[in-house]
Amino acid sequence: MEGEEIQMRLEIESIDIKDLQAGSKTHVKKGVLEINLKELEELILRDPRIKSVEIGLVRPGDKVRILNIMDVIQPRCKIDKPDADFPGFIGKMQIAGSGRTRSLRGVAILVSYPCTNRKEVGLLDMSGPVAEMSPYGKMKNVSIAPMIAAGIGERDFENAVKIAGLKTAIYLARGAEGHPVDEVEVYDLDIPNLDRTSGLPRVACYYQIYTPQFDYLAVSDPCFYGTDVRHMTPTVLHPNEVLDGGVVGWNAVKALDTYSIQNHGVIKELYRHHGKDLIFAGVVGLAANTEPTARVRSACMAAKLVKDVLGADGVVLVKVTGGMPHIDLAIAGEECEKLGVKTAIFTQPLTPFGTLSDTILFNAPSLNLIITSSATFERTKIPWKAEKFLGGTAKTKVFCPDPIEQYAGDPIIDIEEYLLPGVLDCTGNAKVIIKEY
Amino acid sequence: MGGKKLRVVHFLNQFFGQIGSEEKATTGFVVKEGPVGPGLALQKELGDRGDIVATVICGDDYFSANLDKNAEEGLKLVASYQPDLFFAGPAFAGGRYGVACGAMCKAVSAELGIFVITGMYEENPGVDLYRKYAFICKAPNIARGMPEVLRNMVRLAFRLISGEKEMSILTRENLPKPEAYNYFSRNLLRNEYCEKTIAERAVEKLVAKLQGKPFESEVIPPIFERVMPPAPIKDLSKCEIALVSDGGLVPKGNPGRLATRSNLKWGAYDIEALFREYEVTHAGYFNDHVLERPDRLVPFDVMRDLVKEGIVGKLHRTFFSTSGNCTVSKRCGEMGEEMGAEIKKRETIAAAILTST
Repeated sequence: MEGEEIQMRLEIESIDIKDLQAGSKTHVKKGVLEINLKELEELILRDPRIKSVEIGLVRPGDKVRILNIMDVIQPRCKIDKPDADFPGFIGKMQIAGSGRTRSLRGVAILVSYPCTNRKEVGLLDMSGPVAEMSPYGKMKNVSIAPMIAAGIGERDFENAVKIAGLKTAIYLARGAEGHPVDEVEVYDLDIPNLDRTSGLPRVACYYQIYTPQFDYLAVSDPCFYGTDVRHMTPTVLHPNEVLDGGVVGWNAVKALDTYSIQNHGVIKELYRHHGKDLIFAGVVGLAANTEPTARVRSACMAAKLVKDVLGADGVVLVKVTGGMPHIDLAIAGEECEKLGVKTAIFTQPLTPFGTLSDTILFNAPSLNLIITSSATFERTKIPWKAEKFLGGTAKTKVFCPDPIEQYAGDPIIDIEEYLLPGVLDCTGNAKVIIKEY
Repeated sequence: MGGKKLRVVHFLNQFFGQIGSEEKATTGFVVKEGPVGPGLALQKELGDRGDIVATVICGDDYFSANLDKNAEEGLKLVASYQPDLFFAGPAFAGGRYGVACGAMCKAVSAELGIFVITGMYEENPGVDLYRKYAFICKAPNIARGMPEVLRNMVRLAFRLISGEKEMSILTRENLPKPEAYNYFSRNLLRNEYCEKTIAERAVEKLVAKLQGKPFESEVIPPIFERVMPPAPIKDLSKCEIALVSDGGLVPKGNPGRLATRSNLKWGAYDIEALFREYEVTHAGYFNDHVLERPDRLVPFDVMRDLVKEGIVGKLHRTFFSTSGNCTVSKRCGEMGEEMGAEIKKRETIAAAILTST
């Protein structure tokens, strides 16, 4: 076997997109992404589960509110490997994370499902307070909103929408072929042969990919190589699998989306420190659990993988949205500390009242380094009126946990920040800390 | 700013109100027009932007003898001057005085909806009792620091009155930073922008921990009390049992207006009627299974069987319900105590079964 074939070396070749416009051919010229909307529409409509699709191009400053957002995706495609984009979802099953990937920066795909009956869905404005808060509000974006075909079940349709978003991401990135590359990032981690002579501490990432507690219609969202992870035991992942399409967002934005996973905050940060003051030992990926027995089993197995397989001295425990996942995180953290692995554990306070200490949901003295990974359910009032809506209308309901009804066209909406894509980020990219006021 | 001058009312105890020291602590409410004692320095800080129209004075012992009633009485006096702004103290380390200042601030803020500002030493019992309800500026434990504390109280008052949005927090509320204005945080938590990402802070701090260097946790973990289980029931067949759940099962229409998240309320509902027409108000789990059969959350079916079989004496007809999702543990404890008191009051109930999601 060729050594090169199995090496987990990933090169991400980024092209900065300065503007986008509709055109007769999808390509990038001097940083301007021109899109053949007809061709893109045809690509999306090839899926019989989709009846029609609304495509919009939006820029910062536009008085546009995008509704019913399911996911946000960075345009990416594999350059040197056939049939390898988002393996398990689009490409054939293979391990993601090696070879060359083209990535478009400054542009995102906003994937909406206007026919959804889910209540808690994403919302983004292209100007006003939300645009100022969210990195996506400062990008040029392609909004796609597929409509359901007759006779298609809602969960099936969700999968069609997810696939449509990923296909769009590949289509746009492929269109940039031949354009000069602005930056190449190399993610090269040879886990079996990591340096053991430097004396630097080995650090792993415990990564909660998913929690089944919000499962819509009691079905888990596929987010891992084309499948769901509800019953997956903790699994060792190469960090590049996460960055390069092995893991994608859920079927709902919850302070987490594909874009943030493609740029996973903690994984990229561990790479930055690798070889300087730590050795990045790898990732343990898993789902949170709804049953106590499964939770303890998962925690023990995760701690074992961190300590006895990856050989880590330290671990960052990265939390997914929700209250319950705190318990999975804390039990796993305690198991790690018992094995002598030092922890940094995320917390996401669930209420705006009390002191920070009041909000901690675990009782574990060994977990003495707690990082506030933002208050996901913080409410904010947005006094801003859109002139145009995509993925919905002015009459689309906007979720509020209080028993009130509000609509996208209201002069002020009261919304939880985890539903504003990009504002908060479970993978750790947000420049947000929680303080007592 | 500019415009109309602010009408200000100031609250003082008998000592600072220049009625007398400890021997006059039983004096009831006295109102003087204009500033008194420290009010003169306060007026100076307010300058031409505000006038202290009245000073409400009350003796420490008098006030503390009946907090609620006296706060109510004091409020009426304050309200009669239609103030735009209310100051109390500062009370420094004075315990009774601090509590009186806090109680006055709470009553005035709740009733008049104006900004209320006081000042206390960190160990003053008024701080923990009233920090939620008032802006309490930090003060030393002796009155020598009076001018600085008053200056800071006025600076904070003007900042609040300006209505300025705090751009360092995501919600952009009119909520000044506690460090910048030297006041005790008011039991609120906010997402705040910071220089470093969550990931940067996590890795940097973990590296310090691994190197054996000092590291700072962003949260100091709490110490929870241990709840001991009560003695078991000797004879279930003679026992009336109530059902309690935090899974958000409520009568159709949610008459108690329980919230799906961060809910602070609970309700008591007739269980027979509830099981005929119900809904779930809880956003922390997917409700499909419960909506299909609420017995999965609240074991009404099993309990009825047990009663029929004579294993359990009786099922209490009221079901106690709340929606426990992201509610701060302190409030959960309070709701438990409230439900417990209600259950006790009904006298016939010997035990309760609590089910959760």
